[in-house]
Amino acid sequence: MANKKFGFLSGLLSMSLLLAACGNNNESAGTGTASDEETKDAGVVNLYTSRHYETDDALFDQFTEETGIEVNVVKGEEDELMERLTREGEATEADLFYTADAGRLHWAKEKGLLQSVESDTLNANVPENYRDVDNQWFGLTKRARIIVYAKDRVQPEDLSTYEALTEEQWNKKVLIRSSDNVYNQSLVASFISLNGADAAKEWAQGIVNNMARDPEGGDRDQAKAVVAGIGDAAVMNTYYFGQLLNSEDAEEVKVAEQLGVFFPNQETTGTHVNVSGAGVTKHAKNKENAIKFLEFLSSEDAQGQFSEANFEYPVNPNVEPAELLASWGEFKAQDLNLSELGKYNADALKLMNEAGWK
Amino acid sequence: MIMQLHDVTFSYRNTKEKTIQHLSMEMEKGEILTILGQSGSGKSTVLRLIAGLEVPEAGMITINGSTMFDQKTFVQPENRGVGMVFQDYALFPHMTVAGNIKFGLKKMKRAEHDERLASVIELVGLKGFEKRYPHELSGGQQQRVALARAMAPNPSIILFDEPFSNLDADLQIKIRDELRTILKKAGITSIFVTHDQADARAIADRVILMENGHILKTGTPDLILC
Amino acid sequence: MNVIRFIRLHVNSWSIMSIIFTLLILSPALSIFFQIFEKPNENWAHIQEFLLKNYIQNTLMIVFFTGLFSILIGVSLAWFVTAYRFPLRRFFKWGLILPLAIPPYIGAYTYHGIVNYTGVLQSTLRNEFNITANPAYFDIMNIPGAIFIFTIFLYPYVYIITRAYLEQQSASLIENARLLGSGPLELFFRVIMPISRTAIIGGASLVILEVLNDYGVVSYFGIQVITTAIFQAWFGMSDVASAIKLAGMLMAIVFLILFLEKVLRGRKQYSYSNAKVRPLEPISLSREKTILLFGYVMFIFTAGFLIPFVQLFQWMMMTYEKVVSPDFLQLIFNSVYVSLISAFIIMIIALVIGNFIRLSDSPWSKAVSRVTVLGYSIPGAVIAIGVLTFFLWLDRHLNTVYTALGIDAPIILSLGLGMLIFAYVSRFLAIGFNPVDAGFDKIGRSFTEASRLLGTSLMRTFFKVDLPMIRGAVFGGFTLVFIEVMKELPLTLLLQPFNFYTLSTKAFQYANDEAVHEAALASMLIILISGLSIFVFHAVLEKEKK
Repeated sequence: MANKKFGFLSGLLSMSLLLAACGNNNESAGTGTASDEETKDAGVVNLYTSRHYETDDALFDQFTEETGIEVNVVKGEEDELMERLTREGEATEADLFYTADAGRLHWAKEKGLLQSVESDTLNANVPENYRDVDNQWFGLTKRARIIVYAKDRVQPEDLSTYEALTEEQWNKKVLIRSSDNVYNQSLVASFISLNGADAAKEWAQGIVNNMARDPEGGDRDQAKAVVAGIGDAAVMNTYYFGQLLNSEDAEEVKVAEQLGVFFPNQETTGTHVNVSGAGVTKHAKNKENAIKFLEFLSSEDAQGQFSEANFEYPVNPNVEPAELLASWGEFKAQDLNLSELGKYNADALKLMNEAGWK
Repeated sequence: MIMQLHDVTFSYRNTKEKTIQHLSMEMEKGEILTILGQSGSGKSTVLRLIAGLEVPEAGMITINGSTMFDQKTFVQPENRGVGMVFQDYALFPHMTVAGNIKFGLKKMKRAEHDERLASVIELVGLKGFEKRYPHELSGGQQQRVALARAMAPNPSIILFDEPFSNLDADLQIKIRDELRTILKKAGITSIFVTHDQADARAIADRVILMENGHILKTGTPDLILC
Repeated sequence: MNVIRFIRLHVNSWSIMSIIFTLLILSPALSIFFQIFEKPNENWAHIQEFLLKNYIQNTLMIVFFTGLFSILIGVSLAWFVTAYRFPLRRFFKWGLILPLAIPPYIGAYTYHGIVNYTGVLQSTLRNEFNITANPAYFDIMNIPGAIFIFTIFLYPYVYIITRAYLEQQSASLIENARLLGSGPLELFFRVIMPISRTAIIGGASLVILEVLNDYGVVSYFGIQVITTAIFQAWFGMSDVASAIKLAGMLMAIVFLILFLEKVLRGRKQYSYSNAKVRPLEPISLSREKTILLFGYVMFIFTAGFLIPFVQLFQWMMMTYEKVVSPDFLQLIFNSVYVSLISAFIIMIIALVIGNFIRLSDSPWSKAVSRVTVLGYSIPGAVIAIGVLTFFLWLDRHLNTVYTALGIDAPIILSLGLGMLIFAYVSRFLAIGFNPVDAGFDKIGRSFTEASRLLGTSLMRTFFKVDLPMIRGAVFGGFTLVFIEVMKELPLTLLLQPFNFYTLSTKAFQYANDEAVHEAALASMLIILISGLSIFVFHAVLEKEKK
């Protein structure tokens, strides 16, 4: 009797474990480690992404409709997904790594997580400076890191460059988020690449001195702080400004309407641009589908949707940005291969720490 | 002889000195034995050793002619046929009086359960209390349930660990007289552990005086307690 | 010591199962900690010079004040609800647990959403009264703000445990103190606080553990604490060695706290008394005092539940059409499914280990009980990487076995939900184990011994006697684990299988993109399901008392 009960107990336990282990198998990737022959026709592409947008989901569905290839997705945070890819090594089920920062894409390449891809379509759709030199990753959408300013207090003429924000007249008036944020890390990395580490550090130091408050909150919070009068100008992404302008909350729209958009460094090095992009993983089991998927995302149709629905600039030169983005005018971007952002990321982070950038 | 301890030695973990040292004793059927001693004398440990709740280091224990413990044997408590009434009674709070008493009747046929319940309830004088829960009873009633529960499976021997210490003085005197009557009537072999000389005098056929894990003296109450 | 004695003392099915479970649970932490011995590199020097002092200061400050305020609020509420009559008292008894249903990071962005420039507070002042207040007054994204968020959403841990404890206290103790002329304040600080010490420390240590390994709130508020440093070292600098060193420091703090708890708890022994304890009956106060009391209780409930709930509700209505889809049914199902399975497994393991520790009080069984807390003492993402590494290792070895056996379609463990659930179990075991341990502690061993002397085996005793006696504790542990898994984020994010989303990851996907309003629906569903389980738990317990 006693042993029966105990057997029952442990049986129940192992059963629930097994149930959990197998429960999701049919929904999930499904290709297993089966041989290559089978996987070629598997009709799936498996994606690790740190982008969580509804518009992306809609594009994935459209891809499935057009090609019959099913898209399986894990949505996480970029660094952790990379760590997962690293740990999984050959065993990974992911065919594509998709994230919103060129620096991270470069890292993924450096860590040997990606592989080169030859595709005329991709080469045609994605300009050279927005893809990896070895074609290990491809930029798909662009965002510019701009300065927004309070229209009632600041004239556009007062603004010129990122560097100018470190001058005396901006003391206690600059708003920017914390150094934890990858967009800021990439911004500083671009300065290291363009102007050298010393100049970049000087800039970081100057920004810290001129901060209106200790960094807190996201990009949208910086914009709100400008309108609230905490500071006069904020550094933020075009993408988030677009979101703010189109918020469901009327108060947020009001905030965005009181702000002006300024593309800095037009006379000098150009405005900092970063991309969202993706690369085929080194151990992809569905490489051809993955390439098809990339080609689809870089196509004119998909690029148009990125821009219209998600306020991102298309990388495909044949596609015009959405009306809102176009209304901010054309701008000169940094002339930089974006791999540099990844190359200097760690340096950038340390330098910001040393400058006391929280 | 219904129970025999031979040269039993025992110590609790993490203690240097032996709690029980080369202890030997035996009992006749129907005898009521009291082990008397100060706290720390090892008297409660003797009960736990007999019950199988502790494992001796050396020696031999037999009950009813079968070996319970020696170098090769250790019989688990549930298979010893020993009953015990705990100091705090340990009545299962989630069961009624009837449930508690019937708990140990697994070896009997189902049909006999109610019969046995009725007879022990009668014996301890708790008729009509079958459906009550332990917390609905007085201290004295709880103790009688504990006794009934220990008696119900017809054990070879019943052990009482300080059974009167939770009762107030008048009740104590009344109950221990009752108890002796019940035990004698049913002819149950029993061991009482107590630190109270009056208890020992009132209830025991024979008294063992313990100190530091040794037996100091043994004999009739009149002889030992003066 | 002879062999029989050893076997009798140490070997039975319980001990074997306990060791197996413990090793399993330990494995992810171990696979991380083998890396701790790597030499410090230049990053470590950088971290030490520029970050460490600040990080530790901030961490200790937040932990200290959150602990202090949680105790003050938790214990005072527990005492008021037990001892005094006031309106809605029966509701507040469980209503005051409800803040626990709100994950602190959701609470954080909700409160920020309320008080920021476009939030309801400032915009109402601006638009209705034409007052533009200094925005600095409304800033909560700082250390005091974090302390507020943690306190208001985590105090229920102290409240639950202390209230349960006070309810068992004899009325005469309190009456005695009153007769000896103690005023209410004196009574509270000199009698209630000291006698509930064990319960308070138990609850407070849960609060502190939660705070220590939180990442969501501090990273959203931009506060630098040890957990953020771990992530910066690991992901920002790609420096696992430094990250592990920091995690090691965090663990050191955790073990210090646990050690203190043990010392403070002292050698107090519980015992389950059959004697009738006259329970504390709540008394009525004067009108003014009742109003004051009600005001205080209502204030905490409002801040900890009502305000965030109403705000989220408003946001949900705002974004409802944009966000809602049939997928939400699947999300609800997924969340409930993994939470139930995890809670179920955790309670079984907790019972096995708890019973083992109780039956054999050897030093290594005590060690086993300490190990259960290991997973709760490290940030979730660190555990997740450990679990992942462990499962990949397992898969590699299983693969060899499959090949040897000639099996074609192997089960890939690291793909399934099993890995995620294993990680939950490893992380939240302590949450389920603590109540079980306390339950066993309370009933002691004599019931088990009595049962065995009545001819019942160890196993049967467990099901007939032990389990029914601690079922309240088991149910309580189950509920807490269920809610914790429901709210869990970092593990889920890292270990989710393809196309597997929960309410929590859904809320995160929006919130992470600063789309706080859109995150409201998923957040509301988490809160409703957790709140419902709190209510069911309360209702069952109340029924049992009758």
